[in-house]
Amino acid sequence: MKVLVANIEDVFREAAARWTLIAYFCLSSIFIIIFAAAVNLDVVNGALAGAKLFGKEMEVGGSFSIEKLVTGFEGGFASLLYVLSIFMAIFATAHLVPRMQDKGTIDLYLSRPVSRTKLIGSRYLAGLLLAASNVFYLITAVWLIVGWKTHVLHGKIFLAGGLMIFMIASLLAFSFLVGVITSSTGVSIMMTYGLAVFSIPLMAHQKMEAAFSSDWSAYLLRGLYLVLPKVTEIGMAVFGFVLGQNAPEEAQKAMALQPFVTTALFGLGCFALAAVAFKRKEF
Amino acid sequence: MNEAVIEVRGLRKEYRSSFGRRVITALDGIDIAVHPGELFGLLGPNGAGKTTTVKVLLGLTAATAGSASIGGRPVADPESRRHVGYLPEGHKIPNYLTARQALSIFGRMSGMETAAIRSRSVELLEKLKLSQWIDVRVKKFSKGMTQRLGLACALIHQPQVLLLDEPTDGVDPVGRREIRDILRDEAKNGVAVLLNSHLLSEIELTCDRVAVLRAGKVAAEGSVEGLTRTGAKYKMVAAPIDDALVAAFRESGAGVDRVNGHLELSVDNVEHLNALVDQVRARGVMLSELAPLRSTLEDVFVDLVKAPEVQP
Repeated sequence: MKVLVANIEDVFREAAARWTLIAYFCLSSIFIIIFAAAVNLDVVNGALAGAKLFGKEMEVGGSFSIEKLVTGFEGGFASLLYVLSIFMAIFATAHLVPRMQDKGTIDLYLSRPVSRTKLIGSRYLAGLLLAASNVFYLITAVWLIVGWKTHVLHGKIFLAGGLMIFMIASLLAFSFLVGVITSSTGVSIMMTYGLAVFSIPLMAHQKMEAAFSSDWSAYLLRGLYLVLPKVTEIGMAVFGFVLGQNAPEEAQKAMALQPFVTTALFGLGCFALAAVAFKRKEF
Repeated sequence: MNEAVIEVRGLRKEYRSSFGRRVITALDGIDIAVHPGELFGLLGPNGAGKTTTVKVLLGLTAATAGSASIGGRPVADPESRRHVGYLPEGHKIPNYLTARQALSIFGRMSGMETAAIRSRSVELLEKLKLSQWIDVRVKKFSKGMTQRLGLACALIHQPQVLLLDEPTDGVDPVGRREIRDILRDEAKNGVAVLLNSHLLSEIELTCDRVAVLRAGKVAAEGSVEGLTRTGAKYKMVAAPIDDALVAAFRESGAGVDRVNGHLELSVDNVEHLNALVDQVRARGVMLSELAPLRSTLEDVFVDLVKAPEVQP
């Protein structure tokens, strides 16, 4: 526990001193301010009388319920936050392993009575906590603004926050693996973003498989789809969880168990490999 | 003597070049034992294996063969480092931390409680003349101050073993003396200190015992006094020294060199030396100084490093 506390202190102090923490929360705050300024809702006696988005009048049908509007807003913004939070989290944490592995720094950490697995594990949790604190800040702010503007509060958007942290955890494990092997922050960031971008079109793997002429290429694509994290599906699930039964069919499908299990297994696999590589590494 | 707290037996370390084609032997079966309260110096030219030895002791790199233990525990066990303080050469304490924060993080990683870290930090920074800098970020520190903070990080948890790589690097002469005094105090309190330095004068002034490494082997080991003693050689200052006296000494079988107005004598034993003194007295020569000749540690080091390697 002391090792974890020491790493959390180290990670947060570094983030604060290097302006990462400030930039992280400034970017998030800009998003929140834009969101707060863009959405103008006219609620009369619990019913939506009018709505403006970025100053533009929106058509509001008589049967449109305020609840539906709120979940729609939260679902849409949660999807946006999903992309934003992943982008910022990787950027803010990818240096954690490469910097620790610097000559003259790693000796200071490894000369303590701490196993390497515990050291990298606590570093990982500290990084995840940093990313989670930003997700929590973003989600809570959006939730409060929507509540302030519509007087409707429900907590489904926090579930979306949980899914964001879940996706970040999986990608962060990959970033740690690259960091342990290459000791390069730049490569960690590039590879993790590359992985996320590469995995996006794989959701349509069935259509792509049908277009392939050889079986092995189809199997390879399916294998990649199964192994890699499901960035698109989890993103759709974020939307789906907030909208609930009102979610479109695609989002409902993404809420199945398979994308979550395979994404979790990918993260666990990457972290296990990172821990083994770190344990075997000679400094 | 107490049981050794650092024990290295037949330690061997081989590095492989890319694709494993070439094997480089960094350590070739070295044996070292450091006891509680001892100041032990590790000397050697670049690439002799000093840093590799320390790295193996800290579990930073794994030995190819042989064994190494600290406090009776094999170095592969992280618990062996529970009571070890380490100051690496060219260490990089994260420069975004203040001295207080650095001590807090490394103290906690060594299992210390917050209250103990707080009181020990104040005490150590006072001792190392850094108390005014306690809340200043490390990036504002000079090299010597960073080095002193590194020593504080190594000492924060009151270790029983200190592994120090160039501890006085970048420190001014007064600071060096202060660090030497701190190390002596630690040794008096039973701490085993392993000092790795290129500054031979520093080792000579600080250490009780040294080992000289060459090409991964221990070329010589012993007390500083023992290694610097040149055998039966003496310096004699007397007046007047004439050719007849020198000739008489040579007749007795002694080796005689005139050096800067005094004589350097090579004798067979103490009896032989006393016979020469009798001759000095018999001739009415005034003897003002007679002392055994010693080399500096640097002389010993250079001789050992330059000597051709004996093949087994």
